[in-house]
Amino acid sequence: MQPDPLFTLTGALCTAVILASAATHKVRAPARFSAQLQAYQLLPTALVRPVARGLPWLELALAFAVLLPVSRAVAALAAAALLALYATAIAINLWRGRQDIDCGCAGPDQRQPIRPLLLIRNALLVGVALLAAWQPETRALGLFDAFVVLAASAVALLIYAAADGLLANSPGLLKLIGR
Amino acid sequence: MMQALIVSNVLLWCLLIALAFAVMGLVRQIGILHGRIAPAGALMLDKGVAVNEPAPKVTAADREGRPVNFGYAGDKGQLLFFLSPTCPICKSLLPAIKSIAKEQAERLEVIYVSDGDPEAQRKLISEFKLEGARYVVGPEVGMTYQIGKLPYAALIDSNGTLRAKGLVNSREHLDSLFEVEHLGSATLQDYLHRDHVHTHSPQQ
Repeated sequence: MQPDPLFTLTGALCTAVILASAATHKVRAPARFSAQLQAYQLLPTALVRPVARGLPWLELALAFAVLLPVSRAVAALAAAALLALYATAIAINLWRGRQDIDCGCAGPDQRQPIRPLLLIRNALLVGVALLAAWQPETRALGLFDAFVVLAASAVALLIYAAADGLLANSPGLLKLIGR
Repeated sequence: MMQALIVSNVLLWCLLIALAFAVMGLVRQIGILHGRIAPAGALMLDKGVAVNEPAPKVTAADREGRPVNFGYAGDKGQLLFFLSPTCPICKSLLPAIKSIAKEQAERLEVIYVSDGDPEAQRKLISEFKLEGARYVVGPEVGMTYQIGKLPYAALIDSNGTLRAKGLVNSREHLDSLFEVEHLGSATLQDYLHRDHVHTHSPQQ
C-alpha cells in the first residue's frame, strides 16, 4: 500500500523542523550540550567534545536533506535511526537508575529530567520520520495540496511543542502537589 | 459542492491552527506560573526598627538630587524597596513592585533604595524602565533601617508608622507585607503564632 503524498510531505516537513530546532539550541550553546552529553555517561571522555560538535551539524544536514525529494527517503530513515539512538541513550540511563540527569532535548528554559514518557515521545517522532521515508503514490499536486501540507505541519508542530511544554512542566506540577 | 467543501476545509485548518496556538499559549502560561510559584519561605525576624512604632526619620537625595523624606507623616504611605543591581532576586521582583506601585498609586508611594556603582544603577533603571520612579542611591537609608539582607521591603503608613517589613524573595512575601499591615502584626509568623495561642483559650 502506498500513502497519499500529503502524508509523506507533512512527515518530512515536521521531521525537518524538529531536527532543525533541536540542532539550533545545540549549536548556540556547545558547552552546555557537551556537558549534557557527558552527563549521559555513554561515550569515552575523549569522544564527548567532537560528538557534541558534530551531532548538531548532522541534525541540520538531515533536516535539509529530508526536504529534498531526491534524498528524502534516505534522510528520513537516517533521522529515524538518530531519534531511536537518542531514545536508546535515554533508556540506558533510565535502566541505570539515573533519572535526575537533564534530557538535553530542548533549550535551557526547558530543562527536564529523563523519564519513560520521553521514550514514548521519541517513538512518536520515529514514527513521523518513518512516515516521511515511505514512498508515496505519484499524483499531481496543486496549490491546495501545498496549503494542506503547510497547515497540517503547522498544527502538528504546535501540538508537539505544546506536548513538549506539558512534559517539561510536569515535574513542576509534581513538586507542587508534593510528590 | 466541491467548492464549498474546499472552503470549509481551508476554514477548518485555519481554525485548527488558531486552536493549536491557543493551547501552546496556555502551556507557556502554566510554565511561567510554575516558575513564579516559589515556596513561601519564612520572613526573617531580625533586629532593627520595630514594627508598629514610628519609623525612623531620614532624608536622602534621589538620583536627580531632590530630597526624599522617609518616615515622615504625609498624605501617602511609603513602600521602601531595598535592592542592588548585583542581586538577581531583586530584579526578578521588580515587575511585581512596579505593578504594586501602579495598582496602589493613590495611597502608596514606592521608593527604590539602592547603593553601589552608579553605572550599574543606570543600567538597571533603563532595563526595567524605572526612569520615572523615585530612586535613591546611597547608604544612609539602609543604615538607618538596618537592612542586612536584600531584597528587603518596608511599609510605612501615612502617619509615619512602620507597618511591616521583611526580607522579600517572592511576590507572596511582598503580598504578605500588605496582609500583616492589615492584620497589625509584625510578621505573618507572629500572626500565626498568636492565632495558635488563641486556639487554646476559649473564644466567644
